[in-house]
Amino acid sequence: MADIKAVEVSQKKNIRLNNTAILFIILVVMFSVFSYVGRPFFFSKLNLIPMLNNLSFIGIVAAVLTIVMVSGEIDFSIGGNIGLTACLTALLLSKGLPGWLVVIIALAGGLAMGAFNGLLVTVIGVNSMLATIGTMFIWRGIGYTLTNGRSILAMNPVIDYIGRGFVFKVIPFPIVLLVAVFVITYVIMNLSKWGRRIYAIGANPLASYLSGINVKKIKFINFLLCGITAALGSLILTSLSAVGMPQHGQGLELIIISAIILGGTALSGGRGQILGTLAGVLILSVLYNFLTIMNIYYFYIQMVQGSVLILVVSAYEIRLAMARRRI
Amino acid sequence: MENITKTFPGVVALDNVSIDLYKGEVLGILGENGAGKSTLIKILAGNYIKDSGCIYLDGQKFEIKGPAEAIASGIRVIYQELNTLNNLTVTENMFVGEQIVKGPFKIVDWKAMTKRAEELLDKLNVKLDLNTIIGDLTVSDKQIVEIAKAISKEAKILVMDEPTAALSEEETQSLFRIIKTLKSKGVSIVYISHRLKEIFEITDRVTVLRDGKKVGTLKTKETDSNELVTMMVGRDIKDMYPKREVPIGDTVMKVKNLTAKGFNNVSFNLRKGEILGIFGLLGSGKTSLSKALFGVNKIKNGEITVNSKKVNVKSPAIARDEKIGLVPLDRKVEGLALIMGVKENITLANIQNLGKSFLIAKVHERKKVEKWVNEVGIKTPSVEQAVNSLSGGNQQKVVLVKWLESGSQIIILNEPTRGIDVGAKIEIYKLMQDLCEKGSSIIMISSELPEIMSIADRIIVMSKARFTGEYLRKEASEEELIHAACL
Repeated sequence: MADIKAVEVSQKKNIRLNNTAILFIILVVMFSVFSYVGRPFFFSKLNLIPMLNNLSFIGIVAAVLTIVMVSGEIDFSIGGNIGLTACLTALLLSKGLPGWLVVIIALAGGLAMGAFNGLLVTVIGVNSMLATIGTMFIWRGIGYTLTNGRSILAMNPVIDYIGRGFVFKVIPFPIVLLVAVFVITYVIMNLSKWGRRIYAIGANPLASYLSGINVKKIKFINFLLCGITAALGSLILTSLSAVGMPQHGQGLELIIISAIILGGTALSGGRGQILGTLAGVLILSVLYNFLTIMNIYYFYIQMVQGSVLILVVSAYEIRLAMARRRI
Repeated sequence: MENITKTFPGVVALDNVSIDLYKGEVLGILGENGAGKSTLIKILAGNYIKDSGCIYLDGQKFEIKGPAEAIASGIRVIYQELNTLNNLTVTENMFVGEQIVKGPFKIVDWKAMTKRAEELLDKLNVKLDLNTIIGDLTVSDKQIVEIAKAISKEAKILVMDEPTAALSEEETQSLFRIIKTLKSKGVSIVYISHRLKEIFEITDRVTVLRDGKKVGTLKTKETDSNELVTMMVGRDIKDMYPKREVPIGDTVMKVKNLTAKGFNNVSFNLRKGEILGIFGLLGSGKTSLSKALFGVNKIKNGEITVNSKKVNVKSPAIARDEKIGLVPLDRKVEGLALIMGVKENITLANIQNLGKSFLIAKVHERKKVEKWVNEVGIKTPSVEQAVNSLSGGNQQKVVLVKWLESGSQIIILNEPTRGIDVGAKIEIYKLMQDLCEKGSSIIMISSELPEIMSIADRIIVMSKARFTGEYLRKEASEEELIHAACL
């Protein structure tokens, strides 16, 4: 019996390895087809740079949220965090604070929001889904209160650079941030001791605790990181749009979580790959961009995005079931 | 049941097994874990479909296609894990799925149900408050409710799977009274257990299974425990519990007047190279003791000294740093990250030493793990293999090796051989003694008398949250230990 099960599991493992590869193949195929169908505009600097900029803040938040989800928790408050941070940033700028200080305060605000989530989940023991749905509304509500629901212009050399600057005059700064975040999270999750602990507490928190791992500390730090990266994402979004408003990031949490699940991360924790999340973000963004430039109604685009998510997740299940049946 | 065969992928669970059951008798089925006992009753209950063989009921050939048919023909099974709905009352539980209804709208007839419930409990000669929420009852009362439910429709055959696993001596006796009552009413009972004492006390005949095959059926009166054990394990008891004499050194752990959740005022010494057995029945506080020693439960009073240094184990992390390890009761829930590999599980308690920097030295880790796997003999296709596909014995070895890898000197094992087959049990015992030879000390918590009497150097008995006796292995007798455990 053991041997038979062994085969099953090794196949499961192959599937997991292949899933990320398959996603990237799908991405390349999609991209090629879109470049042809959408020619000449789709594959042009004029389209690709803004698309990359837009997906940069989604990707940055998604990478860190993947860590939270592998550890067995979730954070729905990222959209609210983005909204509140945007308002805070714009307000402070309008008060005449220097750009660098505003950036620091904004990131500190994100950190505080993450800390609050982390406390609720690890100290009080609230289910993370409920806790962060709650804080999602609170953060956005504070944003509305601070700004009275209005948009505030956010123009400042430092802020401008975060979303619209170029490194070496060619590489957009948000892309640099995106790559940096993915490299760091990849190293954490795939190579570091800390990442091993994160996978372990997601796979079995009790056994991890009984092996001397400080489960609560790790979960708390993950929430901190998630809060600070959401704030960073908000700075990019504020810079790109040049305004801070409480509606920023509305609904983004679901798009980001969709991308992560598309990339193969399990809601139950313990499974997930940073590269899978990258593929998930790219696929959803490329699809969205293509449908938009083809002048498809936003109503339809939403339906397509939802269908893609369901399709891919169903495909995971079917592949697993088929692998089991093959024995 | 004649020539029943059932195979699962890669394993023959039952190989041509025949049993017969007479009206009004108690037939014991005896066998080690994995002998095929559960498979046999699951076929009888309609949960599994047999591959071949025939079942005859009252002389008629009888095909069981599913649980509903088994129930309709009077076959009822009471499983080890009780299927009570813990938020409902006694009455509600007795009639789940078969409520008595009246009128055109099929309104539940509470009056009739209460009356019927009382009748059923009368039949068993027991009294229970019918409006109690099941969750508030003791395990034995829950079991009574299940039995009452089972006989609510005419039950011809009642199968009980390890019914006394969680019962005290007294509760066991009252269960036996119920069994005798049922027997006198003509119900045939299949009684599954690996406790010899009970087999002798309650059964008329006993069928022994081993590795999916029937070894034989004997009249209980005409056999003795030596014969049954030899039939059951296929080898002598001596081979089952290999014991080496290991020189015992100085005290490494001293526990003084320790009080924590689940036990009071406990003191003992553990010495180098020693296997200290802690014996007790369910609820005696022995698992609580292991949790307190390992920093899971808070210590209210008393002190623990390790190597003459007072330690304050506030968490498992601190216990680990003090070189204490715990092989917990439920390895799948408390010991292993099942979806992770053998490698990740073995190094789980020692991640901080997997490399000099914040990164894991993966080549180094793999070499270390491969060394362990070879040394201890963990059967796995590769060190990447997810542990949920390993057998129970190999999983237990992984949990134990996890603590060796983290350098533990004091290892607490809670029911170390629970749910693993005989061969693996012997290997675990050998491994424990290898560790002692290398200078570790072991606290072995167990409720299996033969195991603790053969492997432990010294035995402390726990009952009702305190220590009630201490014996050297050579001078302990089964009667004394049981007596102390019931004090």
